[in-house]
Amino acid sequence: MTLLRRALVALGVASFIAAVLRLRGTGGSPPQGGGWRELSGPELDG
Amino acid sequence: MKIGILGVGATGARAARQLVDAPEVTSVVLAGGRRDRIKSLTASLPDHGLAAADPLDAGVDGLILAGPSGTHGAVVRRALEAGVPVVSTSDAPEEIEAMLSLSSEATERQVSVAVGAAFAPGMSCLLAAHGAQGFDELDEIHVARVGAGGPACARQHHDALSGTAIDWRDGGWQERRSGSGRELVWFPDPMGARDCYRASLADPFVLVDAFPGVQRVTARLAANRRDRMTARFPMLRRPPAEGGPGAIRVELRGRVDGRTAVAVFGAIDRPAVASGAVAALAIRRLVRGESRRDGVGGLAAMFEPGPFLAELSERGVKAAVFEGSHGAPDLAESVQGR
Repeated sequence: MTLLRRALVALGVASFIAAVLRLRGTGGSPPQGGGWRELSGPELDG
Repeated sequence: MKIGILGVGATGARAARQLVDAPEVTSVVLAGGRRDRIKSLTASLPDHGLAAADPLDAGVDGLILAGPSGTHGAVVRRALEAGVPVVSTSDAPEEIEAMLSLSSEATERQVSVAVGAAFAPGMSCLLAAHGAQGFDELDEIHVARVGAGGPACARQHHDALSGTAIDWRDGGWQERRSGSGRELVWFPDPMGARDCYRASLADPFVLVDAFPGVQRVTARLAANRRDRMTARFPMLRRPPAEGGPGAIRVELRGRVDGRTAVAVFGAIDRPAVASGAVAALAIRRLVRGESRRDGVGGLAAMFEPGPFLAELSERGVKAAVFEGSHGAPDLAESVQGR
């Protein structure tokens, strides 16, 4: 019973940390779609 | 303006053709390589082409080194003594490192030397410099390339997969095994996705020199199973006179307004064509005194990237940016596309 309780607590803590990192992390998600666009003259003036 | 080209292979010949189109270039002095090739190339450049045993003795205003890697360092030393600006298309890491070490001497002599002036390194450095302007803080640069120019480039490509790859990580160089670190890299269409591996490439040397605060710089080369398996043996087949289409991809990671950001740039072209155009534009800029500084450096350190890329685009070597979306793909659009 103690082992089960400890395992549940560990799982809960791990889930909480994962949720915090998922919500507050600044890495963002990689692009899910998109495409290549040719760089045009005005963009290269800078 | 009198420009010398030492090495008239695929890249050197393309550079010569680019130079004769420039109004300020009055003659192109060709040297190094097979005599019949120099003769035919000279004949194909009416009113411009001249053959010479040694371009430095011919009194050139600038010199492009387009011969095989390993032959550039000694000529750069002679050019520095003569006060002649040089552009080197070598992509051999040891040679580029050795040429970069001549920077203080070149600065003292007030001579500019642009090294790694090809497709990658070269245009890849310009894309990195252009993209870096959009970041508050640039942390990582990852370059990948596919394809080779002439036979010398193909041999260098072959050797790169058997040498030691050098990555820049947290302020120090890390040696990694070439052929390791497989990564699926998406190049501009129609090249698409290719498996790329660590290789003995020069990009990290020129990029770390240009971006001193960067934390990670890596370079990868596209290869298939046969390339990787035969990399440690001599080339079994003679490389073609010129390779097919190639591509480069530059991924930048850093911070914008305190948040992590990623930018991806690329280009697709025949590597020899792009390299010739890059080298020709670089030497014209050096001779006109339009480099950012004296000394030895890669293109990111030596030139303003925007105008250089714009002129490359006018000459048909076009850069592209990857525009990603973070949501799920628009289902309606994808259905319509079927």
